[in-house]
Amino acid sequence: MTRSLNELRPVYVVGIGWHRYQNPSETPYVELGLTAIRAALADARIEWPAVESTYVATALLGMASGRPILRHLGATGAPLMHVENASASGSTAFRHACIEVASGISDIALAVGVDKRNPVRRPDTGIGNLAEDAIVPFTHFALLTNEYAVRHNGSTEDIALVAVKNHRNGAKNPNAQRQQERTLDEVLGGKRVSGSLTALQCTPIGEGAAAVIVASEDGIRRLGIDAGRAIRTTASVGRSERVYPPGAGFDAALTKETADLALAQAKLTPKDLDIIELHDAFTVEELHYIESIGLCPEGHGVRMLKDGALDIGGQCAINPSGGLIAMGHPIGPTGIGQIGEIVMQLRGEAGPRQHGGARIGLAHMVGVGAVCYVHILQR
Amino acid sequence: MQPNKLLKPGLYSATSGDQKGATARLKGGRCRCGYVFFPMQTYGCERCGSHGDALTPCELSAKGTLLAEATVHLHADKNRPAPFTIVKVALDDGPVIRTVLAEDSAPVAPGQRVTGRLAAIGQSDRGETVLDLRFSIAS
Repeated sequence: MTRSLNELRPVYVVGIGWHRYQNPSETPYVELGLTAIRAALADARIEWPAVESTYVATALLGMASGRPILRHLGATGAPLMHVENASASGSTAFRHACIEVASGISDIALAVGVDKRNPVRRPDTGIGNLAEDAIVPFTHFALLTNEYAVRHNGSTEDIALVAVKNHRNGAKNPNAQRQQERTLDEVLGGKRVSGSLTALQCTPIGEGAAAVIVASEDGIRRLGIDAGRAIRTTASVGRSERVYPPGAGFDAALTKETADLALAQAKLTPKDLDIIELHDAFTVEELHYIESIGLCPEGHGVRMLKDGALDIGGQCAINPSGGLIAMGHPIGPTGIGQIGEIVMQLRGEAGPRQHGGARIGLAHMVGVGAVCYVHILQR
Repeated sequence: MQPNKLLKPGLYSATSGDQKGATARLKGGRCRCGYVFFPMQTYGCERCGSHGDALTPCELSAKGTLLAEATVHLHADKNRPAPFTIVKVALDDGPVIRTVLAEDSAPVAPGQRVTGRLAAIGQSDRGETVLDLRFSIAS
């Protein structure tokens, strides 16, 4: 018989840390990674030798990039593995760190994501294609923006309001790559990229690092970790794309089935969610995914956005970190940074961007391929 | 007349001679389970996993309905100078494909009928006119 994560022993996030997401720079990735790991260790108030296993999420650094970071923490000989799963690399690393602890193999595990922006190389499958070299991710989502606006009789200006909200949240996040509020005119008036998408509606190119430490109850007791600041992972689900009806958006369909499974695992409904960190690499995605997760019926996302229901302090704060649009999307770190943001919010330690009374948060990432990962955390 | 050369002959053919402007046929495949896909491949069926003889070539009409369009203003690859327009088309024969709108096409909008034709996109080293698939409003 198989079991889901929350049927194994409980697993908690006990430490979180970042190196700020930023524009590409000369900073070596080793320094980015060390900064995030040391911050997470300090947050958990534990020392490096307590970490029994490490999952390094990176998509763009190249082979075996983890040990050149970890050796500078003092080489303990603990196991180390690398996770590449496109945009969901960090979420996948977090899932497997949780599984390792929940299974009883380790008491303390680290998931760290680090990346610098390098050219993306996709494998040659041997199957030809008409024009995929002309359809980069922003054009994939420009097509979906056009479809969404036409199907729901909405305006592309309304869809751009997602960026206004997420830039406002990012302006309050010291780890965000973009920390500047933007008006709708600024968002719409920026450089045109593809279709109706403008530069400020697209995630920026950047680099950074994020780390989280997960622990069992035994580990928390043994190391004297503050259990009051530990946040439990109550659901973890990973899925990959199936064959959907012709014309159905696979990103949204895949998100729906993954989120449904995660909510069922945690025995929750969408209405129970206080916070969602989701894959808003492009504005239209936020509307697709809140509808797929079940916050509102299809096509009603704009109404919630305009009512302020998705703001910090609203019904359910979406991307209080600023999301991929403002906080940034350095690839490997992103899914781990989402977990860190939710933990900060559920602890009540998010300062000026605190969503009052937050008890339940959901983290969602999709990655090209396509894969989808959803985690639920609860205070 | 100059001979013509198809850019991607593994993916499409012309209905009557490889002439500029000719309506294209797409080289798709069909699985024993009924699933129709593009392009043809023999690795295995995405829906049921059958492979080998279960998958047979199946010509698809290049007529379909536009699902979405996006004009690309920014594109790093110098081989595809922007602006150009990408279209997402639900083929009458089933699969949904994405490719480039013909440069001389009138503006398109979701719901419109479109057709894939062969368009001249340049010259080969040997002086042939190179033809590639482009969609435009159905005539």
